[in-house]
Amino acid sequence: MQQRKDEILAKKAKLAELKRQREQRAKEFTASRQSIGDGSELVAPIPSRANNRADLDNLISSLVGDSRPSSAGPREPSSPAQRGSRPTSVVSAGQLSGDQSEIPSPGHEKSAPAPSLQTLSIAPLTTVYDFPASPKAEIITYSKGVQTSDVYEPQRARAKGFSDSEDDGAVSPSKSPRKKRLSRREKEREEELRQNLRREIEEELKAIQNHDVSAAETNGRANFPSRLLTNEELNAVTSSIDFQGFVDRSTKVIERALEQEYDILADYAVDGLGAVDDDELGASTGRRGRRVKEVAQFWDERWSKKRMISDLNFSPKFPELVLASYTKNPSAPHDPDGLIQVWNLHMHERPEYVFHAQSDILTARFSPFHPNFIIGGCYSGQVLLWDTRAKSAPVQKTPLTGSGHTHPIYSIDIVGTQNANNIISCSTDGVVCGWSVDMLSQPQEYLELQTPQPAKSEEMAPTCIAFPQSDPTYFLAGTEEGSIHPCHRYDRAGAKAGVDTRISYRGHAAPVMSLDFHPARGKIDLGDLVLSSSLDWSVKLWKARPPAAAAGSAAAGSAGAGGGPGGAGGGDGGGGVGAHVAAQPLMEIGREDLVYDARWSPVKPGVFALVDGAGALEIWDLTVEVEVPVAKTKPSARGTLGGGASSSNSSYMAQSLNKCSWEPHEGKRIAVGGLEGVVSVFEVGAELGGVEGTKQEEWAEVKKMVTRLDQVMGNGGGEHGR
Amino acid sequence: MAQTTPDDTLALLTRLSQKPGVQSTLVLSRDTGAIVRTSGLTSNSISANPNSTQPSSSEDSTELLSNGAGRQATGIHSAEDVARLVYHFVGAAGSMIHELDESDEAKLVRVRTKKNELVIVPDAKFLLVVIHETPPA
Repeated sequence: MQQRKDEILAKKAKLAELKRQREQRAKEFTASRQSIGDGSELVAPIPSRANNRADLDNLISSLVGDSRPSSAGPREPSSPAQRGSRPTSVVSAGQLSGDQSEIPSPGHEKSAPAPSLQTLSIAPLTTVYDFPASPKAEIITYSKGVQTSDVYEPQRARAKGFSDSEDDGAVSPSKSPRKKRLSRREKEREEELRQNLRREIEEELKAIQNHDVSAAETNGRANFPSRLLTNEELNAVTSSIDFQGFVDRSTKVIERALEQEYDILADYAVDGLGAVDDDELGASTGRRGRRVKEVAQFWDERWSKKRMISDLNFSPKFPELVLASYTKNPSAPHDPDGLIQVWNLHMHERPEYVFHAQSDILTARFSPFHPNFIIGGCYSGQVLLWDTRAKSAPVQKTPLTGSGHTHPIYSIDIVGTQNANNIISCSTDGVVCGWSVDMLSQPQEYLELQTPQPAKSEEMAPTCIAFPQSDPTYFLAGTEEGSIHPCHRYDRAGAKAGVDTRISYRGHAAPVMSLDFHPARGKIDLGDLVLSSSLDWSVKLWKARPPAAAAGSAAAGSAGAGGGPGGAGGGDGGGGVGAHVAAQPLMEIGREDLVYDARWSPVKPGVFALVDGAGALEIWDLTVEVEVPVAKTKPSARGTLGGGASSSNSSYMAQSLNKCSWEPHEGKRIAVGGLEGVVSVFEVGAELGGVEGTKQEEWAEVKKMVTRLDQVMGNGGGEHGR
Repeated sequence: MAQTTPDDTLALLTRLSQKPGVQSTLVLSRDTGAIVRTSGLTSNSISANPNSTQPSSSEDSTELLSNGAGRQATGIHSAEDVARLVYHFVGAAGSMIHELDESDEAKLVRVRTKKNELVIVPDAKFLLVVIHETPPA
């Protein structure tokens, strides 16, 4: 096929060449003819033949000479007869000239003789079909160019006509008048054939098109009856796993698409007037840089109802994802008790993922080392691991046996490095366990925290733990009685694993609800700053003694080596190994309500957020003001976000906020949630969050303030010590 | 993830169809173009097989039909028409993408018109179409 195509192409090119030559010749010819005589008829020259013989010869040779070489090649195989007949036909110059006039067209048409012309007119069906757009002359050309006539001969119905015409063609060269007639007839016939062909082709094309259309129509229309699925089919389809998965995925995509508030087709030239001034909203909560604006509320009618939020955490990998863990819904005994919903800031009305547990989930967070994992702690004492690629049930969980926790887990953390990390969980009976993510059947580490002597009871009830950024072997544990104890995961020089008995942080008079180490992202190390919140209506700022320094101050008595001002306190209260130091807070911030959570901003050194029992979110900036928050706001009532009017018809209790969590990368968003079960996400202004606005001085300022407070505290520390 | 029962799945569709601005939804089978679910669309064949096009929304199908004439003006079409047109359109888009890159396939088609927007999610076995109003631009 390809070969043939090539052949055809080659021939086409040749023919084009020939055609050009023919035109040239014709021009020359007419010109010469005019010069020769009146050029009225080809026959006319006959008398003058003798006179102009030489001229004619010249002319012919000049005319034919250049065309022959090119046409000779193709002609050779097909037209020996023609050649043979030529000499006989060269009776007169007129005839010759007539022949000449005739020859160009045969020559042009592959220079095949009339017979082959007929042949060709037969074969065209296929050839022409390939080039339906060619002009008339081309079509003829083509039909003549086909050299496979022999092959086609017997197959064609027109074989007879072919033989007839062959006769005509064979005869034609010998009799010029007849040839003239013949050529005219031939032309007519050709014309006719051409027309026939064209009609046929057109019909064929039409038929094809019609077929296409009708096929399309049958696809579109005729299919419709068959598209009517029966009830059973519908049920089968809608209950298939494929369908459910598809609906789940596709509706998420579409909801995200619909949620996209920004209209990419907005034409600001057209409706610039209708634009809302964004700053107005911010103005109500303070200066623009310090505004706190509610950007999203997450609530699911089916799952969030009658549940309280127990923990919140932003995904470290995808800043738009925030998880919320919930307690059980007492009015729905058939629903799973524990619930985690992962919300997407781009999809407000339904969670991206929902995870379940048999027992209330009290704490949960994304694994910082694997974006697909979510780790949670349960009221039953189980540590659960969910995978966002799996179903809603946990992919792994710890057993309910004595080897792990048997009390509620209120605090959990993942510490270590990308390749070596552990889940550390802490239950209210003082048991701290370390788990490997790969194996939750048995704890890798088991530690029982005990209140250091002297104490009323050895038992310790930790409510929260916190690891410093720099040291995964050491943590602080806040207790129900209000004290905060440093604890070691392992035995180390001068200290056994467990609670470090030499120092404790005492200041809270009620259970400690949260502990948070400074995230220490700046050049100046503030990683020893700890923020604690408590039910005693206060937030306290602590300077955690590094474990080595604490050991040093205890061991060296009043030397205070390395502890700096802290050593002074240690000196007063100290006195040998086993001496107990009660460190004092650097700062106390009294609030008007129970403080449930307080968290450092991940980017601004002096900024932290707290939520309280009155349902308020407060943003503090220690570099600006230490007496009052720089911003304070409350989540609007559910469903009124964007509506403006925040009605406070919910009861006082329901407004209470339990948890807050910063988005860890930019520090611009903070999620809060509480008894109502609504997750509200706020965006803070440039002065309170965002990576670009942070100045170096702020770090130095915080450091200076801490040092100053530390000295004040150190001087007065002796009075309060012990 | 949690939606494992057909009811929950359908509830998702129902919710989607009731979102503000959403005019109609349509779930087609990818291989045959059969209509699996619709909402907000009238159906020519509703009498022939009323279950083939249950409206997912709470609106009654007959109500849709009765209002059909008025709805034509507001851009509500027959489910079959939309299904046919969208099906062929997605097929064309799919073949275009396939010819650009053989290993590629269409994931999301959004067509904004003057009046509304079609969001089409083609998947291996099904195809979800949502027609929703766009903010006046």
